[in-house]
Amino acid sequence: MGLVFTTGFSQLATSQSIAFVAAPAKQYSSVRKEMKLKNALLDLQRHYKVEIVFEDRLVGSSLVTSEALNLDLPLETNLELVLAQNGLKYKKIRRNTYVITESKAKVAEIIKTTKPEGAPSIEMTPVEINGIKTIKQMMVVDKIVKGKVSDESGTGLPGVSVVVKGTQRGTSTAADGAFELEVPDDRAILVFSFVGYKSKEIPVGAQSQMAVSLLPDENALDEIVVVGYGTVKKSDLTGAVGTVKGEVLQERPSSSLNQGLSGRITGVNVSSNSGRPGGRANIRIRGASSLSVSNNPLYVIDGVILNAVDLQNGSTPIDYINPNDIASIEVLKDASSTAIYGARGANGVILVTTKRGTSNGGKVTYDTDFSISVAPKKLALMNSKEFLAVEDLAYKNAAKYDPVGWATGTKYTDPKTKRTNPKLFDAQGNPLYDTDWQKEAFQKAFAQNHQLGFTNGNEKGSYGAFVNYRNQDGIAVGSWQKRYSARFVFDSQIKSWLKVGGTLGYTDQNEKQVDQLDGGGITMMRQVLEELPIIPVRYPDGSWASNRDYPGMEGGDNPLRVSADRLYFLRTQTMLGSMYATISLAKGLELKSSIGTNVINQRLDYFAAKGMQYISDNGDAYVRNNRYNSWQFENYLTYYKDFAKIHSINAMAGLSWQHVDRFENQATTQGFSDTYFQFNNLGGGSSPQAPSSNGQAYGLNSYFARVNYGLLNKYLVTFTGRLDGSSKFGAANQYAFFPSAALAWRVTEEEFMKSIPAISNLKLRTSYGATGNSEIPAYRALAGMGNYNVIFDGTRNIGIGISRMSNPNLQWEKTRQVDFGVELGLFANRLSFELDLYHRKVKDMLLDAPLPLSSGYTSIFSNIGSMENKGIEFAVNSTNVKMGDFTWTTTFNISINKNKVLALSGGSDIYSGNGVIRVGEPVGSFFGRVHLGTWGSSELDQAKKYNMLPGDVKYKDLNNDGTINDNDRTIIGKGIPDGFGTFLNTFQYKGLSLTVDLQYMYGNDVLDRSIHSAEDRQGIANSYKTVLNAWTETNQNTPIAQIRPINAYYTTNNDSHKVTDGSFIRGRNLLLAYSFPSTVTSKLKLDRLRVYASVQNFFVITKFKGYDPEVSNSSAPFDQGLTLYDYPKPRVFMLGLNIGL
Amino acid sequence: MKGITKKYRLLVLIAGALWLGGCSDFLDESDPSNFTVENYFTKPEHARSSVNSIYLAMRDPIMNSGFGGADWAMTEFATGLAATDLGQAVNSYFIKDLRNTSDNSYGRDYWASYYKGIANANLSIAKIPTITMDAAAAKKILGEAYFLRAWYYFNLVQLFGSIPLVTEPISLTSEQLRPLQAPAEDVYKLIVEDLKTAEAAGLPWVDATGKVSLGAVKALQAKVYLTMAGYPLQKGAEYYTLAAKKAEEVIDSKQFKLFTSYDDLHNPTKKNIDENIFMIQFKTQIVPGTWQGFIIPYNKNISAYSDETGGIYANADFVKSYDPADLRAKEKQFFFTKFTNQSDRNLEVNLGGYFIYKHFDVAAQTTTANSDLNWPVIRYADVLLMYAEASNEVSGPTAKAYDAANATRTRAQLPNLAGLSKDQFREAVWKERWYELCFENITWFDMVRLRKAFNVGTKQFDNYVGHKFSYGPVLTERELLFPIPTVELKNNTKLVPTKGY
Repeated sequence: MGLVFTTGFSQLATSQSIAFVAAPAKQYSSVRKEMKLKNALLDLQRHYKVEIVFEDRLVGSSLVTSEALNLDLPLETNLELVLAQNGLKYKKIRRNTYVITESKAKVAEIIKTTKPEGAPSIEMTPVEINGIKTIKQMMVVDKIVKGKVSDESGTGLPGVSVVVKGTQRGTSTAADGAFELEVPDDRAILVFSFVGYKSKEIPVGAQSQMAVSLLPDENALDEIVVVGYGTVKKSDLTGAVGTVKGEVLQERPSSSLNQGLSGRITGVNVSSNSGRPGGRANIRIRGASSLSVSNNPLYVIDGVILNAVDLQNGSTPIDYINPNDIASIEVLKDASSTAIYGARGANGVILVTTKRGTSNGGKVTYDTDFSISVAPKKLALMNSKEFLAVEDLAYKNAAKYDPVGWATGTKYTDPKTKRTNPKLFDAQGNPLYDTDWQKEAFQKAFAQNHQLGFTNGNEKGSYGAFVNYRNQDGIAVGSWQKRYSARFVFDSQIKSWLKVGGTLGYTDQNEKQVDQLDGGGITMMRQVLEELPIIPVRYPDGSWASNRDYPGMEGGDNPLRVSADRLYFLRTQTMLGSMYATISLAKGLELKSSIGTNVINQRLDYFAAKGMQYISDNGDAYVRNNRYNSWQFENYLTYYKDFAKIHSINAMAGLSWQHVDRFENQATTQGFSDTYFQFNNLGGGSSPQAPSSNGQAYGLNSYFARVNYGLLNKYLVTFTGRLDGSSKFGAANQYAFFPSAALAWRVTEEEFMKSIPAISNLKLRTSYGATGNSEIPAYRALAGMGNYNVIFDGTRNIGIGISRMSNPNLQWEKTRQVDFGVELGLFANRLSFELDLYHRKVKDMLLDAPLPLSSGYTSIFSNIGSMENKGIEFAVNSTNVKMGDFTWTTTFNISINKNKVLALSGGSDIYSGNGVIRVGEPVGSFFGRVHLGTWGSSELDQAKKYNMLPGDVKYKDLNNDGTINDNDRTIIGKGIPDGFGTFLNTFQYKGLSLTVDLQYMYGNDVLDRSIHSAEDRQGIANSYKTVLNAWTETNQNTPIAQIRPINAYYTTNNDSHKVTDGSFIRGRNLLLAYSFPSTVTSKLKLDRLRVYASVQNFFVITKFKGYDPEVSNSSAPFDQGLTLYDYPKPRVFMLGLNIGL
Repeated sequence: MKGITKKYRLLVLIAGALWLGGCSDFLDESDPSNFTVENYFTKPEHARSSVNSIYLAMRDPIMNSGFGGADWAMTEFATGLAATDLGQAVNSYFIKDLRNTSDNSYGRDYWASYYKGIANANLSIAKIPTITMDAAAAKKILGEAYFLRAWYYFNLVQLFGSIPLVTEPISLTSEQLRPLQAPAEDVYKLIVEDLKTAEAAGLPWVDATGKVSLGAVKALQAKVYLTMAGYPLQKGAEYYTLAAKKAEEVIDSKQFKLFTSYDDLHNPTKKNIDENIFMIQFKTQIVPGTWQGFIIPYNKNISAYSDETGGIYANADFVKSYDPADLRAKEKQFFFTKFTNQSDRNLEVNLGGYFIYKHFDVAAQTTTANSDLNWPVIRYADVLLMYAEASNEVSGPTAKAYDAANATRTRAQLPNLAGLSKDQFREAVWKERWYELCFENITWFDMVRLRKAFNVGTKQFDNYVGHKFSYGPVLTERELLFPIPTVELKNNTKLVPTKGY
């Protein structure tokens, strides 16, 4: 992150200083006994948050003894100290910029290569320099030009690059700004450039003495933002792009990128839906845009696209990227920025830049954290006494609810008579146990994470090697995750015109999961709620206890047995590699060619022991292998040119091929009489099942281009277009074009704004464009036939029959988005605002649209329907207090999105998961009945009309047809919030900082489907304590039906009683960090030493009664806020350490 | 300037590579794991596989048995003779209590599965003739396809009345993608024709492998004609004659016989032979039957299966209406009320109701939890009783008719029928059908074609409309059909909703 400045001024030098300025404030100091002068300067630069500009030529390999440095003293003192040892001095040219010069005024003359803008600063090899020099010396030198370069105030500027345009001849100015240069003739044009100043070109003409004045470029010290196929200065950005730096991610270490991204960027809604290690995050950028195909953004890691594949149990490829490797994340949100990804950009694009080698010498970094997770909350469940009382009460009420069954005299038995099992009851029928299953099933879970990085390099090349180990236990006993990952990167300027680099990353992740998606059936989390308190974990003889040991129960096994004997291991190996070559073809013209590949091998190992209730009768095992291979080959030309400081053009055009193939196979065996083999010997079971395999492949061929045009640095225009072809679509529709345009106006560049010094930045921007979504399965345009199993003569026979109808007209889903943004900075950007308004409309929505079943088909992928998202994103960053060593900064952001379905095929509702997709309503709307409480004794006659009795649940007869059925369902809530955001405060005093990170969300509901089994049905499993408030003659004002045996009949539906407001405020992170001062670190021979302690999820304020309102364990795309036996989100107490040397 | 030259040379190289990479077939991808309609139907073996696929849809409504209910229970609850303890299977209650709606998933599943069967039959019928193969073999294989299409249509027309009549493979551009309803008469016309084609296809009388046999074709013809003779077409005498003739051909073939023990009705070793003329095929470990958990009482711990759902059992009033001497009503014949505890087979558990033993797989329930039972479609007992009923309508109770009607009574250890008038004989045969063929997806179809319902109190036949179930609800005209599913009405707006729904 240092600034390396050589006399040959380059764009890269600028960008490096820019990157530094953008880095977050942090104490970072290091002074050692003897070190390179260059490193000392870089350290000072970091510590004092200034820019120190120097030529390598001057600083070179000089060493300094720096014991006397005292970082508590002013920078100037320290600079004098280190520079004096080498005969150098400094000049402060601006508030935050220092230039290092030679002590004695001396005209430097060297001949250097001039490099195209954007290329790294590299000197040619001495041989070549000498060669050229020789040639030059033989040329006729007809003129020597002398001059002085000064800044806006007339003071001489040292270190300014002066180059004869179109040649490699040049020099730099001396401490007083003076220079002297031989020029070939009067037609020569001199180019003056200097970091932080606008460059100038001046024809020599007749003059031999020149006085040049450079004007500061306020925007030069600007953040560089990665956009698709290139980078751009933040000030030149015309689109809506959000950025998070790796340092920020490190404040809240997490096991996945998505979790780390939560709350960082407006418009990006990350729902961490499971508390298991690694979690399961749902990420939506500016709302949902698709009904049948993926709503996940496109992830691009160092230019390599992760293809949205449906990995096991809801995981996605991004889950296997080590967050510790990330240097920065850019989120492209509006059409201008996403259109460069054309047919795959509709859901937004997340660009990840990983850490690279260092260009200023070797570094070792070690980051580690240790944590303990605990379940933050227990739900109120009945104890033994309460459970047995409820069971007795149910029996008492049987005759009321089932007079016919009661009359048989055999259907119901008094539960008191069955409490005879001596393992569970004493002689009087009293229970021996009172087990708290939440206490048994949840544990204090330990986690550790270690990241070791080795980096080295110089201006000619750099490399880095990073290794990571992560081991995390889950709070649910038996769940864990382990990850090993390693990555190697290199970048090398092989020739002045050729740069080559590459990345190779490997991750091996093993997980044991206990929370399968869609939670039906018996899962560990279900049994935590349902296991009877009268049952122990194990009997004294060591055997597992089960609900089945008490007759009449829906006899699931206890949660610890489910965890121990139903094994679900997910083992994933991913390889992500890329290589690139950048070739400078001419000044400003560059070709980049890259190949990338992503290989994912995933294996799911499953075993369930024989006799597990509702899970496996005979012992089941399977192994499922999934392999995803993808490669891409991309080539693009970039051209950059400034015309007389009025026009600037940055153009890019390229083409790309991508290919993805996936293969999966599964082998299943049943009939394992013991547990020895598990899934490791599928031949060891008596009943092998039919194996299965499936292959799929698709290719994309794309052409893309972008032009950025700037006029006077005030008016910026961007045009982007991408032509995408995909094998997934019919021949007629393989190609589609996705254009976009954006306009930005940097108002503060206008003369009339100069008189308002309070406004340091004001930019207006707007964009419009189209993007697409093509994430349907392959081959949907073909009339595929399917395999059928049929039995003849007791053996398996194969049938080949219809499977899917062909749709040759199938094409892309198209999204159009308009965006309007304002960026405002006040008081030297101490207070800054960013506001975006957008409207995103998707049409030709890819829908697995239902067909009339009389065709024999159920659905067909078609382009039907339309949906919109409208939203506001607003962010404030403020430095509230800055007094001496104390600063207090605040970040507040809010994102509001309104989703509405505009049209569907035939206008009919689509039922998806637990919700309905209906025209005029947002997706993710819960659909169900309106719960009005319970029928009272006084309503006997009315209840009778609905076949109900007092004490039954009372639903609203919405269509007034005298019966209650599915036609009486309506929208009863929605899982997607109206708005969400972050309120973050950081207090810093010297090396100590305290961060309070709050997350909030509002307008979202939670549908708690666990109520179905934990409240609607009693007496066959344990229930929530709420059933103690069930209807009785004396307690009629209650939502809970009178207790009765469930075979007498009961009512359970998705209804409004199961829906609660899920708005919440969460204490997402409380972080106390301390960076040791250089006085300490230098004694320890360290570069950097930081320790921190944090508590994640330190509180949640919500009306929701379940574990956590930020939840979903459904695989249905819009079932956000749906819980059915969810894995609670832990509270995490963490200690961490960052070391650099 | 050496570097510059090199650099352009490299550029040319890369440009060349790009052209190579950009070959025009890059975007051509074909599905390696599945045939397409275009590349299939090239070999004789494809004819067999294609027809195999038609069978699958018969299985779906039977397979679909679980906590959410069972499709096959739809026509049982509609008789008023069944009860359930499975509270969460609300669709069972809606039908049982005559509060059914077009949202009911049981009806939707029948509609979806059987039309899928028809679509596969249509594809076979359209494409097999294009395969170069032995003509006799093709004719035989097509015979199965025609039979199955007829079977699906026959069930659909009885369940839903006037329905779309699709006879060609459907594509996105087909007019028949969103068809109009055809009158029931037209549907029956196709059924009759298809069965005639199947009859002439050269199928063997018996197929012990479980495929369509000539016995199955003729038995189904008998049933179709008998139904056409009754409601709703009321074609009368001519069709009773046809029905009697086809049933008689089955009887006279001497290929089939009644089992001597009711245990053989649910004995896996008796699949597809003797009494079992046509069945839906299951096989333990490969495609085991899934209804075992559905037919046993709610969590009484009697089974090796952990899902004991109490999904369906016989209404006690119905079982008590059997003649006390009737073997079928005795313990562990058609029904059972007691069983042993799963962890202690010496401990007897009172089940609290009459559970269906006819479909009970003893080995699966007690040890393997993996059923090997087939599901019966047409039993010889049914053919005998159809013959008795049809021939009585034609010519009164003949000796052959008495023989047919008494065969099942003899097995039930009941005295022979004798000396009855035509009307008395008719009702006696009906009653015999109710008692013999209960819980086999037959009784409701009989009720509708006869417009009669058996009153378990009076032991007489009431008119269908107005009949009161023993537990209260009263049948109306609405219940003569099941409603066309809501989802179908929404996706094909040309359809007219079933009257009353």
